[in-house]
Formats: sequence, C-alpha cells, structure tokens
Amino acid sequence: MDFADDPAEAEFRAGLRAWLRDHLAEHRDGTGYESAAAVERTLRWHRALAAAGYAGLSLPAAYGGRGLPDAYEAILNEELAAAGAPPSPPIGHIAHAVADFAGEELKARVLPGLLDCTEVWCQGFSEPGAGSDLAGLSTTATFDDGRFVVNGQKIWTSGAMWSGWCLLLARTEPDRPRHRGLSMLVVDMRSPGVDRREIVLASGSREFAEVFFDGVTVPAANLIGERGQGWQIAMHMLSYERGPADMGWVGRLGRVLATACDDVRSGRVAADAGLRRRLAEATVEVQVMQWHVARSLANRTTDTTGSAGSVDKLLATRVEQNLYRVVSDLAGPSFVLGAPGPFSDYLWSRAQSIYGGTQQIQRQIVAQRVLGLPLA
Amino acid sequence: MVIELTAEQRAFRESCGKLAAVLAAQWNRGRGPHDIAPPVPDKASWSRVVDTGWLAIGLREENGGAGAGVVDLTVLAEQLGHHTVAAPVLGIILAAEQLQAWGAPSGLLQDIAEGGIRLAPALDANLRGLACAAVGALAWDAAGAEAAVIPASGVAHSLGDPLPFADPTRAVRPLGAPSAGIPAFAPTAPDGDAAARLDAFALSLLTADLLGTMQAALDAAIEHARTRAQFGAPIGSFQAVQQLLADSHVLVEAGRSASYYSAWAVDALPGREALRAARVAKAFVSRSAVEVCESAIQVFGGIGMTWEAPAHIWLRRAHAGRLVLGDEHHHQSFIADDDFSRS
Repeated sequence: MDFADDPAEAEFRAGLRAWLRDHLAEHRDGTGYESAAAVERTLRWHRALAAAGYAGLSLPAAYGGRGLPDAYEAILNEELAAAGAPPSPPIGHIAHAVADFAGEELKARVLPGLLDCTEVWCQGFSEPGAGSDLAGLSTTATFDDGRFVVNGQKIWTSGAMWSGWCLLLARTEPDRPRHRGLSMLVVDMRSPGVDRREIVLASGSREFAEVFFDGVTVPAANLIGERGQGWQIAMHMLSYERGPADMGWVGRLGRVLATACDDVRSGRVAADAGLRRRLAEATVEVQVMQWHVARSLANRTTDTTGSAGSVDKLLATRVEQNLYRVVSDLAGPSFVLGAPGPFSDYLWSRAQSIYGGTQQIQRQIVAQRVLGLPLA
Repeated sequence: MVIELTAEQRAFRESCGKLAAVLAAQWNRGRGPHDIAPPVPDKASWSRVVDTGWLAIGLREENGGAGAGVVDLTVLAEQLGHHTVAAPVLGIILAAEQLQAWGAPSGLLQDIAEGGIRLAPALDANLRGLACAAVGALAWDAAGAEAAVIPASGVAHSLGDPLPFADPTRAVRPLGAPSAGIPAFAPTAPDGDAAARLDAFALSLLTADLLGTMQAALDAAIEHARTRAQFGAPIGSFQAVQQLLADSHVLVEAGRSASYYSAWAVDALPGREALRAARVAKAFVSRSAVEVCESAIQVFGGIGMTWEAPAHIWLRRAHAGRLVLGDEHHHQSFIADDDFSRS
C-alpha cells in the first residue's frame, strides 16, 4: 500500500507543477462551452496542455501519447485541481477505443491529431430513440462497394459543432441480434451529408448538438475493429468515460470545493453552523472520492469486471450533486438573483446523473455485472 | 503509487478471516437479549487468539511485538468487523498501542502481547476520544479485561460491571478504583506528532472494523436477494432492490479506499496529516456503515428485524463503532475548523 509517488511519479508531478506555474496565467480567463469565445479558449488550453506533453498520458507513445500508467492521470487531475487550472481535455475514452481496437494504419492516421488536440473529436452514440437503451440505435452504416454509407441521426453529441471527427456507433448488420449488429466507425465530420444543429442546454451551455447523416460515405479503412464489434468497443469506451479522472471531474470538483472553503474562510460568504456542517461533509466526500479515484486508476489494468467505471461514476455523481447543493445554498439569494453563474453550475450538476448512462442505468450495471444479481 | 494489499497481506487476511469465523461461531447470542452470552471467548479460543499473535503484531519488537504496519493491523480489524467477532481483540490492541506511545514499561507491554494481562482502552464519557482522566471514563471492548490504564497518570483502574450497550459484541465498563494488581508507571507524554499519530491509529482501526461490518452486511443482503423469491422471481432481480444494493456497493468501495488511505497514512505521513486523513475516513465510513446496514435490513425484510437474523448485530456494531472515537459530526467539526474557519 503506497499512495505516495514513486520517484518517477514525483518527477512528473514536479515538472507539471512548474509548467502550470509558468503557463497557467495565459489561461486565466478559464474555459467553457457557453460561447464561441469560450470554446476557443477551451481548445487553446487543451492544445497547450498537449503540446507540453500532458494529454493522452496513458496512451501509447508511438501514437503521440506518453505510455504512462493510469496513475499518472490521477496526478494530472490532482495537480490541475490544486493549481486551480481548467480540466484536462476529455479525450481518454475516445483515445482508448481507437488505441485498443483499431488497426495499425488507422491508429497511426488519427491518434496523433486526437492526442495533440489539433483535431477535435466527438462521440456519436445516443439517438432520439436510443438513450439508456443504446443498443436499440437505428443509424445505419450500409457496406456497399468497399465503403460504408451512413444514414441516421445522433443527439447529445458533445462538441459536435466544432469537431473534425466523430467516433460513430452505427448498425452495420441489421440481420444480427441487436447487440451484435453494431460497428464503430471513424467519420470525417467535414464529409458531404453531415449536418449539425446546436442544442442549447437549460444552463446556457452550447456543448451539445444533434448530428444528421444523409448518405455520408465512410471508407472501409475507417472501421475500428471488426464489423459487429461495435457494442464491445462502446462498452470499453464507456468504462473510461465513466471514470471520473478521464473526464476531469476530480479536478473540477476539487476546485469548486476549494473556492467554497475559501469564500467561507475569508468571510466573503456567510455560513451558519448548518451550512458549515454540510460544507464539511462535502469536503469529506470529495476527499474520499479523490482517494477512490487514485485507487481505481492504480488498479485499472488489473480490474477485470470492466464495470469499475460505473462505481466511480455513481460515487462522483453523488458527491458532485451534494457539493453543488451546498454551494448553491452558500450563494444565498445570489443563487437566483443577479449573474446566472451559480444557478447554471447547479443545473449542470443535475446533468451528471443523466449523461454517460443515467444513475439508474449505472446501478443496474453494478448490480448485475459486479454484484451478480439476476436479470429480471 | 501502489494501492492494494500485498500477497502477504492477502494471505494474512485469509488466515485472520478463518480464526475470526471460528470465534464468531463460538459466541452464542441466544434467543434474545435475555439469554445472550457475554462477548468473552472461552479459554481455548482465547489461547488461539494469543498464540496467533494478534495481540502482539502491532507492538514494537522490544515490547514483545512483531512491529507490523498499520495496514496489516487494519487487515485484521476488517476481519474482526466482517465476522462481528465478540472478543476484545481490538480493545487490547488499542490499549497496548496507547500504552506504548506513553512509554509504559516493556514488561507490561510484553505481558499484554503474550495474553498474560488483559487491558481495555479508556474512553471519555461521551466515547469520542481516549480518556485523559479516570473520572467518568469508560473502558471500551472491555469484556474479560482486568483493568483500563489512564496513560496520562500511568495508573490502572479496576472495571465495574458492563453497562447496557447497543452493541452486544463489545462491552463498555466504567472505571473504578486504582487496581492493586498492576503497578503504576511514570508516563512520558507523546509529543504532538506522536499524539496525533496515536489518534490516527485508533481511528484507522475503528474505520477498518466498520468497513468489515458493512461489507459483511452487504454480502449477506446480496446472497439473500439472490435466493429469496417473491412474485415467482428472486427479489434480487427487481430493479428497486438492485438499485439499493448497488448504492451500498458504491459506499463500501469508497469506504475501502478511505480505509486504505487512512491506514497507509499513519505510517507514511506526519502525524497531523495522518490524523486529518483518519478523521475524513472515519467520518465517511461511520455514516456509510449505518446506511449500508440499514439497507441490508431493508433487503432482508421482516427476517432482518428478528433477533435470530444477524442483520441487527451488523447495524448495532455499525452504530456503536460510528460513535466510538467520534461520529461523522464530531470529525467534520474538526475538518471545518481546519479548512474554513476564520483564523
């Protein structure tokens, strides 16, 4: 048992700290998805991190990653949080799907751009008729004359408006049982027949979009893995998307908590005994989540159930939503009166239990795949 | 970063589990509160505890111990909690560690390690911390103990009859007059770092004990949900039941991460930081253990409310362990002072 850094980890951490000390000021305006300018700042931050070697840490070095153990992702998140920096680019899940399943040619072609953040990717999974029941999706990719032709609609596609590439889950084998009829394709979003429509969230975030595919052709070489392997790849990918460290959650929550504690300590925000008690409880939960994520990452290679991501997401969601309730109450009347920041942040915290698989779906996964409870 | 038990620790866990199961099977909680056996093992069982070296593993070698790390001790504590062992193992380990920190004579510590003398730790009257004085102090996990020593005075006190206590697997007894059998010693107060470390040690053991209990409650609830049928199907196939158990599993896994960190920190970090970690872990696991044990009773349904079923023993142990050495509110008030009180 050793939660401390080994010498190589310590050196990495020190280097990262020094880099943040020197470069964070250039990104002081923060990141976000509420406007074109915010998106531009976000992409600039991602590219700066990547250029310095802090993106794709656990991805193979041959394709532009660093080839480091998963524990380094925990270090990155901890240090970003400690420095008050924006989250790391949310690319781990897509990168792992490509790195772990695609052939050599495809990996060499697309991974470097993904990992250095010069090419922005989105993930085309959900559809209007296939949310929690993802395997029921109906977008088709028909193989014809050495290429796939894609028709259908995706929704909740994060970053689609400014993405160059889409990792698309589509039905290629309509005759097979539904879980076995899916394939994973890499689609160039600049192809003819791709149409995108922005979705503005209740919080004002403009991160999401609908994407329409109308006879979009995709080269056969852009198939990841084999035809019919799409569901397996999607589940592999979701286990990463559900891991808090991969999505930068840990860092973000650490930052929100630190700001709240700072506000109370300095007296900028008044907190009565009840609120102090709840803030202390949230402090405990965030700390435990950080330890849990470190343990989860340190053991990810030996985890065989593939469902640890669901446990982590359930924990992180519970912790996040509780934290935001406290932060909202600390804001007092300014939660609803004045600049909409606190209310928007709170609204976004409510999305945590919906996207990437709802809290209810995650519990079913844990109950059935981890605890071995019988199917209905 | 290596955040798992070593092969040796996993083997130790297995051997601890075996003896803990034997001890648990030997204790008879009877047909109700009226004929419950006291939490004292018989002579043969206690000899096995002593011979196995449980009482000695944490002490330094010059005091007759094996100098094991706190992670090893929490491996044992978790098994004691898992099997809700009704034998005062943790109490003796805590008392010995406390005496060692206060410079008790090596002979006394060796006696404890070899099972020659049974001591219990003294807690203050509200159970929140290790007692500094005998007045109002209560000995915890004190079944069969001869005395409890107040380290600050070096004086051993005799113990009164057990008080009514929700957890029948551990006895709480009031301190009485100084005990003639155990000579007083001149204590050396631990410095600030060592004092914080001692508190972190005690909290980490309690946390691991709670973790074991909540894991046992969850395991049993899962097993029950797999086998108990209603509406022609195992109740574990119903989503409402699955969701309850999945939430419990998340709490157990998070609690395990917290327990591991807390135990590791006692030996690896300065006392102040270790104590902070131990408070966080104890706060989290105290609340979670009660929640998980309550959910287990819910899954058991009516049978969970009977004396015969073990579910109430887990819940009792969870509540008592939660309050002993401070519940979540107690520790969170320290965390609030540290993190956001105006200086």
